Amino acid sequence: MSFFLAVVRRTLSTLVTLFGVSIIIFVVLRLLPGNAVTAAMGVSEGLLTKAQVAALDRYYGVGQPVIQQYWSWLHSLLQGNLGISLASREPVSTLIGTALPVTLELALFAMVIGIAIGVGFGVWSGLHPGRWQDDIGQGISVIGLAIPTFILGTVLVVFMSTKFHYFPSSLPFVGVFTNPWLNFQQIIFPALVLSLGIGAAILRTTRAAVLEVSNLNFARTALGKGVSRRAFIWRHLFLNALTAVTTMSGIQLGYLLGGTVIIEQIFILPGMGRLLITSIANRDFPVVQSVVLIFAAGFVIVNMLVDLFYTVIDPRTRPR
Amino acid sequence: MKRIIGLRGVASALLAVSSVGLFSTTVLGASSSSAASSTFVIGTVNSVQKIDPDVVTNFLDFEALGLIYQTLVQENANLQIVPDLATSWAFSNGNKTLTIQLRQNVKFDDGSTMSSADVVASLNRAEATATADPSASFIGSVTNIAASGPNTVVLTMSHADVSVLEGLATVNMAIMPASAITAGTIATAPDGTGPFQYSAWVPSTSFTMTANPNYWGGKPALSTVELETIPSEQSISSALQAGTIQMGLLSEPTVVSTLKSFSVQKVMDLSYRALQLQDKKGILSNVDARLAIACATNRKQILQDAVFGQGKVVGPVPLGPYATSPVSAICPTQNLKLAKSYLKKAGKPKGFSFTAITSTDLDSTSADQAVAMQSELAKVGITMHISNLASNAYIQDWLKGKFQAAFAENGADPDPYVMYGRYFGAGADLGVPAGYSSKTLQTELLAGDENSTAAGQKADWKALNTTLTSKAVWIWLFDSYDFAVLSPTVKGFTLSPVNTTQLSSLANTSIS
Repeated sequence: MSFFLAVVRRTLSTLVTLFGVSIIIFVVLRLLPGNAVTAAMGVSEGLLTKAQVAALDRYYGVGQPVIQQYWSWLHSLLQGNLGISLASREPVSTLIGTALPVTLELALFAMVIGIAIGVGFGVWSGLHPGRWQDDIGQGISVIGLAIPTFILGTVLVVFMSTKFHYFPSSLPFVGVFTNPWLNFQQIIFPALVLSLGIGAAILRTTRAAVLEVSNLNFARTALGKGVSRRAFIWRHLFLNALTAVTTMSGIQLGYLLGGTVIIEQIFILPGMGRLLITSIANRDFPVVQSVVLIFAAGFVIVNMLVDLFYTVIDPRTRPR
Repeated sequence: MKRIIGLRGVASALLAVSSVGLFSTTVLGASSSSAASSTFVIGTVNSVQKIDPDVVTNFLDFEALGLIYQTLVQENANLQIVPDLATSWAFSNGNKTLTIQLRQNVKFDDGSTMSSADVVASLNRAEATATADPSASFIGSVTNIAASGPNTVVLTMSHADVSVLEGLATVNMAIMPASAITAGTIATAPDGTGPFQYSAWVPSTSFTMTANPNYWGGKPALSTVELETIPSEQSISSALQAGTIQMGLLSEPTVVSTLKSFSVQKVMDLSYRALQLQDKKGILSNVDARLAIACATNRKQILQDAVFGQGKVVGPVPLGPYATSPVSAICPTQNLKLAKSYLKKAGKPKGFSFTAITSTDLDSTSADQAVAMQSELAKVGITMHISNLASNAYIQDWLKGKFQAAFAENGADPDPYVMYGRYFGAGADLGVPAGYSSKTLQTELLAGDENSTAAGQKADWKALNTTLTSKAVWIWLFDSYDFAVLSPTVKGFTLSPVNTTQLSSLANTSIS
C-alpha cells in the first residue's frame, strides 16, 4: 500500500511539473520574434496586401488572445489531440508518431552501450585504483566528457564516408521491423557517439561507488569469509554501488534526449530532434510545444521510475 | 585473470559492433547502387515546406513544385521568356491586352486535358486575396482574365505592362485543374502538367516524385526523384562520398572543394547581395554620406572574404540583357580618396558611425560580408556596428524598415521592373524596407515597363541603373555561385541559372 501511495504521489507531482512545463514553453514561444506567417512567408510577407496578411493570420490561427490559444491547446491535448502542424498541415500526432520511434531507438541503443561502457570500465577501474587499469578507465572518462558529441559525430561521419564510402544513415531511414540489418547500421554509429559521454559520466560514478563500497566493513568481512572474487564483485560491490549508478543513469537519460537533437542533425536521422529544430525555425508552435512536452515528460517519467527503482534495489528506501 | 573476462567481453563486443558496420560497406554499397538505377536522390539542406504552388516562397518548394507544375511561360538559361504551356502570345491595344495561345493535348496528373478554363481559374486563384499569393502583385495590373475559345486566354491590363510576362513565369502562377481548385485539394494533392508527379512528402525529411507517363514533352528517364533533406552541407558531402545520393545542392565553396572526384556544376543564380540603406533619418539621409560608403566599399574583398571569391561583383541588375555595367556609376571599384571627399561634403570629414543588421540564419555569409565591409569602411573613419539577428527578428525589423542598414540577399530577375518596381515604384509593396523613394526612380521604372521596344527598354534600364548607383540608394555587392555536385553516373543534367527552376533539366536526366 505504501509503495502504491508513493507511486500516486510521484505521478501527481509529475503531472504538476508537466503542467508547469506546458505553460513555460507556451510563453517562451510567444516571446520569440515572428510568428508562423513570418516564418512561412519570410520577407515576401511585405509583398502581401493587408487583406492577404489577414487571410494568412486566419489560416495559421495567429492573432487570437494568448490565453485563449493556451486553453484551446490544453483542452485538445487532454483529449489526446496534439493539433495540426502550421507548416505542413499534417496532424502533429502523425509527425511525432514517425519521429519518436527513431529517437527512442537511438536513445535506447546509446543508453545500453553507455551503461556497458560506464559500468564495465567503472568497476574495472574501481577495483584497481592507481594502477594502469585505472588509468585506462580515467582516460576514457576524460575523453568522453571532453569531446563534444557534435565534433566526434562529424569526424566519424567524414572518416567513414571518405575512407570507406560508408554512411548508412544517409539512406532513407528504415524501421527495425522493415529492414533490421540496415536499421542497425543506421542507428549504431550515432548511438556509439552519444554513448561515449553517457558512459564517461556513469564510469566516474561507478568507479567512485565501487571504491567507497570496497572499503566498507561488510566488504572486507565478505572477503574474509572466503567469498569468491566474482561473487564479491557483482553481488557485494556492484549491487551496493547500484544506487549511485542508477541515479547517474537516470540523469544521463534525460541529457541524452537533448543530445539526440544534435546527433540526429549530423547523422540525418528523422527523429524528434530534427523535427524540433525545423519546427522552431518555422515557428510551428503546435509541433514545438508537443515535442518539448514529450521530452519533458520523458525526463520526468525516467526520474520517477529511477526513484521507484530505488525501493526495489535498496530496501532502506522503501516507505514504511 | 578471470575477473577481467567480463570486461574483455564487453570491449570485444563493442569493437565487433563497430567493425561489423565497416565490414558491411560492400553489402550496403551494392544495395544502394541497385536502388540508384530507379531512384535519383538529391541532397539539400532545405526542406519542402508547402505544396500549394500559389503560396510557396521557399527556394526548394519552387524547385519541387516546378517539376510538377508548369507555367504559361518560363525563363530559359539565357534568362529570356520562352513558351511553356503557352505556345505564343501577343500584346495589343497599346500593350494593355495580352492574348495567349495555349499548348494543346496537355494532360494534368488527374488525366483531364488542360483548357483555357483551367488557366483562367488558376490565374484568378493566384490573384484572389484569400490565396495570399506573394507574386500576385506581379500581375496586379491585370483587371480581367477571360477565355476566348478552348485554347486562347486574354488578359486585360489597367495600364501598359509588358513585364506581366515575367510575372507569369513564376511557379506562384502555376496552372492547375479548375476542378481541383473547386474541390480545394491543391494544398494537399499537387496536380500539374509537369514531367513529374507528386508521390510522397515527409515534412522536414523528404519529398518524392515519380515520372509523369503522360508528360507532353515525353516521359522522363528517371522513374523517381527524391529530394532528401540533409541538415548540413558537410553531411551532403559525406552522403555523396558514400554513394547514397546522386546529387548535392551546395553553396559553400569550402565543402565543394573537397569533392574532387565528382562533377561540379556552378551557376550565378538570380539573386544578389546588397547593403540596403535607410535614407529617412540620421546620417544616411545625406546622399554624400551614402556615397562615401559606396566609394569606401571594396566589393572584391567582400566577395573574397564572404564566399572565397566564388561569384561576381555586380550592380543593381546582376544578370540578363540589362545587367548593370559598370557595376556602379560612382566608384565601381574602391576609391578611398573620393570617399574622403564625400565625407567632407557630408560635413563629416572624420567619418561617422551607423549600425547594420545581418542574419546568418537567412544568409550564412552575411556576417562575413559585414566584417569585411566594416574593416574597409574603417579606412576612411566610418564605423559600422554589426547586429546579427535571428531570422524572424531580422524579417520583422526589415519589413518595418527598423534598421539603418541591412545586409540582404534579394531575389533578382532579368526584368528590372520586376526586380525594383516592388521597392521603388509608385506605391511599392516593399517601399518601407527599401528605405528610399524618388519621383525619378518611379518615372524610370514606369517608362521601362511600358516600353516594348528592345532599344527603348535598354536605354530606360540603363538610366535606372545609373540613378540607383549614383545616388547610392543601396550598395550592391556581389552574386555568388550555386553548386550542384553530381555523381559520375549522372548524365544530361544542367544546373539552370534561374534559381527557382534550377532542377528543370531533371526531365532530361538519366543515370548510366
